[in-house]
Amino acid sequence: MRDVLHPRPNPIIAAMYTLRDLDADVILMHGPAGCGFMAARRLEEAGVRVMTTGMQESDLIFGAEEKLVRILKNVDDRFRPGLIGVVGTCASMIIGENLDGAVKKAGVKATVLPVDVHGCSGPNTSGAIRTLEVAAEKEVISFEERDRQKSMLTRATAIERERGLTSREYLEPHPGATKLSVGREIVNVLRRGGKVAVALNAKKETAYGFADTMRAVQYARDRVGGETVHIGNLDPGVGLPRIRRYASNILRDLGEAGVAAPALTGGLDEYPVAGEKAAVALAECNADLRVVAGLPHAVPGLRKEDVLVTDQPRELRNYIDQGYLLSVGEVNTHAEVMSTDRVLFSELGNTIREIVDRGYA
Amino acid sequence: MRQMAIYGKGGIGKSTVSANLAASFAESGLRTWYIGCDPKSDGSMTLLHGRKIPTFLEQMKDGGGEVVFQGFKGVNCVETGGPLAGVGCAGRGIIVAVQKLAKDHFREEDDALIYDVPGDVVCGGFAAPLRERYANEVYIVTSGEYLALYAANNIARGLANLGVALGGLICNSREVENEREAVSEFARRIGSQLIGFVPRSAVVRECENRGMTVVEGAPDDPQAEAYRRLGRFILENRSMAVPSPMDPEDIRALLREMR
Repeated sequence: MRDVLHPRPNPIIAAMYTLRDLDADVILMHGPAGCGFMAARRLEEAGVRVMTTGMQESDLIFGAEEKLVRILKNVDDRFRPGLIGVVGTCASMIIGENLDGAVKKAGVKATVLPVDVHGCSGPNTSGAIRTLEVAAEKEVISFEERDRQKSMLTRATAIERERGLTSREYLEPHPGATKLSVGREIVNVLRRGGKVAVALNAKKETAYGFADTMRAVQYARDRVGGETVHIGNLDPGVGLPRIRRYASNILRDLGEAGVAAPALTGGLDEYPVAGEKAAVALAECNADLRVVAGLPHAVPGLRKEDVLVTDQPRELRNYIDQGYLLSVGEVNTHAEVMSTDRVLFSELGNTIREIVDRGYA
Repeated sequence: MRQMAIYGKGGIGKSTVSANLAASFAESGLRTWYIGCDPKSDGSMTLLHGRKIPTFLEQMKDGGGEVVFQGFKGVNCVETGGPLAGVGCAGRGIIVAVQKLAKDHFREEDDALIYDVPGDVVCGGFAAPLRERYANEVYIVTSGEYLALYAANNIARGLANLGVALGGLICNSREVENEREAVSEFARRIGSQLIGFVPRSAVVRECENRGMTVVEGAPDDPQAEAYRRLGRFILENRSMAVPSPMDPEDIRALLREMR
């Protein structure tokens, strides 16, 4: 096993995000008050209430089952939620807290999913898988949906290990190429009458940020000429209701911006396999310049002259070290994608628009 | 201050030995602490006329209250306490209690401190008195029976891993044939010594039933003298070494040879 030194997501956070996808009303963290704090802020922006049992030293020593039962009842009375996820943390799971038992004891009206994970229980996707398993057992989702997502998540973990954030011992964050240089490259190809293909292969809500690349390239084409091809994992008929909603919203906004009917490669939670379909579509369209946004490393057969758009500074380091010099960071939208239902204006997108409008290219 | 930790197989008599040692130290005028680390919190009862005292961790959880109780001849008795069986983390409890006791309660002028540590060293917490260097000498209570020596050997392995010195083995007799010789030989093999032999005696149970140590309840009995002698040997002991554990199979062979 290789040591990986940089921080990365863990199963607890993955469980929380999966509960959001399941449209949970409340996520109750059984652990110290600060555990998952930053993720909780983002999730609250997405409309999920996140709460904690706020375990203390004495709770570690004596166990905190009574506290969990009390708080579950309190949450149920106060917010009348339909679906609650109780998520384990390192602290509660290491001392062997019985989440399932506490949930049974509390006997609340809401459907409660006890998710027995902690930070050391495997790759981050193991937290998502555990959540899906409990959701299927409690009939919140079908077993077929659970299995579809499990296979996606297993693929995602393999891709990260082979080509992504866990493929190297340490990845120093990198600012990436400037938006100006990448934007000029794109606009110049169009201006010369060339063909620019944009393949969106994004994970869930992050597509709200990346989809702006498609809008901006289309904007440029409409003003300077050339040809565009749009490819995306935006199938609105795949995944949990929340994920389908994202896809519908994005297709609506793209349509309004003149990006008509992109070639669909799968749903927004299918990026590990949709990447392969994107690769095929990219190969077929024979473009002069290819832009891959979202998780480019999930798209096989990338070329060194491709434009890669990611929201992860460490992924930029990964790409640039491998010789993909037109890798560009879309970092600012990352904070906003959780709470939107419209495609955001991205830095690269706005740079392309500005180049076109002011004739920088 | 002499800081001792008493380890050994569950049920071997650590608490009886520890409480009688504490009583003998106190009787000779030493400022003595008895720290019971078993979540059952019953080790100090014979120093306190059968009284079960509130535990350190319970008091901490409930926000305060007395945690040190004066027992026989002024022995300072503390029970760390811990969770009920099957919940929480007893090991974490010992870590927290030991750290806080050292910080807030023990003083420079104290003479002797005895940690009575439960059963086998099942997790890191049970090694806390050693790892944190709160105790700097260890005594292992054992009998001449295989499982007791096997447990003692495991403890020796833990000490070797942690680089902690063993002061010796205390034989709490089960009246096994050639017991003294067997434990003595085992001690030699792991690079230590037999520091004391405590005979089996009915007076121990009789005193316990009255909520007392033998030193208090039957001060003139030879058994009380056995504990006092053990106490003197320990106080005079300067021979400490990090042990080297045996192969468990060799313990069986050793016992077969002794028969």
